[in-house]
Amino acid sequence: MTALRVSAVCVLALSLQLTVFVDVRVLGVAPELLAMVAILAGYFGGSQNGQVVAFGAGLLWDIYLPTHLGVSALIFAVAAHAVGSLEASLFHDSRLQRAAVVMSATVAIVLAYALSNEILGVRGLINLRLVKVAVVAGMLNGVLSLAAAPVMRWAVPAKSDRPGGAVDFSATRG
Amino acid sequence: MPPARRAARSRNRLALFVLTAITLLSLDFRGFGPIETAQSGVRDVIHPITSLVDTVLSPFSDAWNAVFRYGDLEAQNAELRQQLDDMTGKAIQVEADRAAYDRLRDAVDIRFGGDIPRVAATVLRGEVGNFDTDVVTIDKGSNAGLKPGMAVVTGAGFVGRLSQVDNTTSTVQLVSDSSLIIGVRLVSTDDVGLGHGVPGRVNEFVVDQGPGWPEGGNPELLPEIGSAVVTATDSRYPAEIPIGVVASVSTPDGLAMEVTVKLSNDVTDLGFVSILLDIARDEVPLRPVVPSTIVPIEVDPSQLGSVTTGGSTP
Repeated sequence: MTALRVSAVCVLALSLQLTVFVDVRVLGVAPELLAMVAILAGYFGGSQNGQVVAFGAGLLWDIYLPTHLGVSALIFAVAAHAVGSLEASLFHDSRLQRAAVVMSATVAIVLAYALSNEILGVRGLINLRLVKVAVVAGMLNGVLSLAAAPVMRWAVPAKSDRPGGAVDFSATRG
Repeated sequence: MPPARRAARSRNRLALFVLTAITLLSLDFRGFGPIETAQSGVRDVIHPITSLVDTVLSPFSDAWNAVFRYGDLEAQNAELRQQLDDMTGKAIQVEADRAAYDRLRDAVDIRFGGDIPRVAATVLRGEVGNFDTDVVTIDKGSNAGLKPGMAVVTGAGFVGRLSQVDNTTSTVQLVSDSSLIIGVRLVSTDDVGLGHGVPGRVNEFVVDQGPGWPEGGNPELLPEIGSAVVTATDSRYPAEIPIGVVASVSTPDGLAMEVTVKLSNDVTDLGFVSILLDIARDEVPLRPVVPSTIVPIEVDPSQLGSVTTGGSTP
């Protein structure tokens, strides 16, 4: 059931990214919805479960990007692991705090994506525009996370060290 | 589960994902067929869902465009009116030139894109995400007879090549992509060379491999500003498809010529395109790499076909 919910959320995020956010951009920058799903999965699901969702979301996103398969999956999984590994005592379920986490992690993901692709031979990603893309995408994701958080909380049951719940993926699987 | 054990399990799982991602990357680099087929299958499965979401939410996108892009549309409209005036004046001259050109083409038996069957397609979406400014997705795929490598054009000229073909949709790598190398001919001098897009300058194209700088920079031997640039006969694409017009000519090193071309298509604003159902020449046989990128001017242009580069082949 959890896998179905997570899949539905990932496909919905992908569909919005491929349709609405092709046109709806701020300063020419679109939010990174799949990255937001990955970060919130780490936030709510914790390190272990979050990285499973994040890897899947990244793989789905990679299928639509002309860059190499596996780059987003790798970066999203690492980001979800990092967010999920943050000390539980840091979390007080404040919306602002969550938005800040999403924003910072998005900036890191965008920068890591550009850097990884440059290393893999895709040219032209590291330039001044990258700073704008990272900052604006981070802010957009931060704002959108306010609306997306309840959906992700529904899709990814929270671990005991995270605010709002105590369910483990391993317990819900099957 | 104790926190330490949970952290260890989490690290192990992350290591597994890192290894999986590296495996996928290496398979993708090698062009592993089943991976590409699987990706294509996923896109085909998800396409109806994205179409549905697009239909439901398109009023929102339209409203956004109406509010935030009204100024752009006004400027674009004025520019189009100006272009229409210019083109009306040139139409008569073009008609006369066309007749002479057709006679010449028949004489030398060059295939032209105009003779090749084509399929019309609608552009579904432009760039997705924030880094893919040089691709568009169209609503035709292998079901319509498309294959990777086919040339995509509009009435104005070359748009790009099909890079991914699924059953019902395809991805077009645009001419503005700097990794897409195209064999071109400068019409005013008949020079043949290789050109590519310029990162960050969407409607610009540069021919920097092939034509040499004439001795003393004799202006009579330079390509005329405003003259046409078309696909070369030895290109991977049908010959004589317009690429654009010469905007400037310079020499970076005193030996080679660097020709900046203004693309005939505005690739940021494509609505409909045609795909030339030519034999897709996506798999070009590998040939020895020529170390120098400068071809002396006295070399027979037809030999340029043997030049390969590190990126896409012309």
